[in-house]
Amino acid sequence: MTVKVEVVEGGVPHTKIMAAGIIVSLVCLYLSYLNTMTGTEMFSFFGGLAVVAALIWGSHTIKVLCSYGIGTGVPSAGMIAFGSGVIAMLLATKFGLAAPIVAFVLAIVVGLILGYLSNEVLNMKIPAMVQSLTELAVVGAFTLMGFAVLISGSFTFTGLTTGSITILGASLPSYQVSFIGGSLIAVAFMLGGIAIQHPFNACLGPGWTQDRMLMLTAECGFLSMIVAAVMSFALITTGSALISLIVAIIGWIYTYKQYFALSKRDAADWLDAKPIPDLEGH
Amino acid sequence: MSAVAAKPAAGGAMNPTAMGVGIVMLLILLGICWYVAPGLGLMALIGIIIGGVLIGFGTHFVPVGGAPAAMGQAPGIATGVAMLAAGAGLAGLFGGAWAAEQGTVIAVVTGGVGGGLMMAITCMMVNFVYVFGMGIPAASGKVKADPITGDTQAEYKSQGTEGHGLPFVSFVGGVVGGILGGAGGTLIYLMLLDLYKVTLPTMMSATEAQIMPIAVSAAGMFAVGMFLVNAVLTAYNITGTIEGPHDPKFKRWPRSVVASAVASALCGIVAILIVVI
Repeated sequence: MTVKVEVVEGGVPHTKIMAAGIIVSLVCLYLSYLNTMTGTEMFSFFGGLAVVAALIWGSHTIKVLCSYGIGTGVPSAGMIAFGSGVIAMLLATKFGLAAPIVAFVLAIVVGLILGYLSNEVLNMKIPAMVQSLTELAVVGAFTLMGFAVLISGSFTFTGLTTGSITILGASLPSYQVSFIGGSLIAVAFMLGGIAIQHPFNACLGPGWTQDRMLMLTAECGFLSMIVAAVMSFALITTGSALISLIVAIIGWIYTYKQYFALSKRDAADWLDAKPIPDLEGH
Repeated sequence: MSAVAAKPAAGGAMNPTAMGVGIVMLLILLGICWYVAPGLGLMALIGIIIGGVLIGFGTHFVPVGGAPAAMGQAPGIATGVAMLAAGAGLAGLFGGAWAAEQGTVIAVVTGGVGGGLMMAITCMMVNFVYVFGMGIPAASGKVKADPITGDTQAEYKSQGTEGHGLPFVSFVGGVVGGILGGAGGTLIYLMLLDLYKVTLPTMMSATEAQIMPIAVSAAGMFAVGMFLVNAVLTAYNITGTIEGPHDPKFKRWPRSVVASAVASALCGIVAILIVVI
């Protein structure tokens, strides 16, 4: 359909969210390089913050795209975001320090071609299609790279494929104990995929408000970050993983409370119902 | 313009210019692959393109009902195209991956059987729920008689609906779609796995046994990524619901084949570049 059913009324304009998403994600991904410079793994949690920033941008892009009736459901947008993002991200990790920038450029190329295919070859004719699919590919790539940093402390191909196991006090290199070799990337894929598609799917409708949806995205992002931080105990030092876990839990509690307050604000009425009381005499 | 006055833009019309551009892009991507990785890389890319086209074409057979089907107002399985295609293809991919060591043909057939089996079970249970749970018979709204059994449909169709349940032709379409999707997903996985098994040991200077976890994981991840891209593009082609091979929307498949071929070539070349550069 060519009709836009809903419009963005008020709130922060999309270009601003996009610019903030790109800058914050890139800065956070590069801040994690402090790991290599200081020789520790303490700064891995910056990967999780990059994930949250990218997801907030991505969920607003999904809102822009799915305001047009694309007829395939909101989750499909999240799926194509990560399908094209994982491909760009995996190749980008080969470029060492330049990986986040290369992922950005490569995802733009992949997204542009996919956008052209769906808009022209498949005749969708949706004005926001090409830009949205491009943005979503970048979001997918950044999110997966953020999870990679959070879990393994590095965004280079060697760092993601090589781990070490300790047998009888001796440390041996192992390819199985790694982000890609251990298939942790598959879990990261679905964690991000659910977090990006859920907020708009949950908040859409006539009562949609921008700040509530974005707060829900942040909440979903931190929830995914908790799970990823727990997985990171396998690959990075316990202290570093603990820092990531604490950051994720604090972020999640704060955003959850905020989302709860915003939901109360937007609700028509709020009844603080008690649980079913125990009947006396039983 | 109001939503009522708008006519659906994604009709059955083909865009010949865009199709031409798509085919040129496909040839350019094949040329790039021939330049950077002749031989094994090019063979892998051709296999990936065939797999992607199988997924895109096969998805058109699957009866997708979406939200109307959940309310018994349209025929098909009550979920979206992307979810069904991903379900059938990933079930096939897991089935095929088990048989990867027994050769390409056996693995691809196993993948097809896995995907077809998944769709057959889904279609049967969906009909169970429709008939015994919701109390509605299976009837198509798009054709007068079932093309396979010849049963007339109009008598069983409730007024004000587009049909409901899963008629026999939709069931067969679902199984065929599952077979094609599962075989396509497995083919992509096998092509990448074979390529990575040969190239990764020299690249990472390790033995083949050592890099196996990485080869399997990376090939599997790329296969899932390409599968989702192809499934969503097909979903965009169908826009909403489709009853199966007898639906008028089925005639849109050439668009999807071109789009899937280009998308698979694009994603495939990125997956091949990871071991070349």
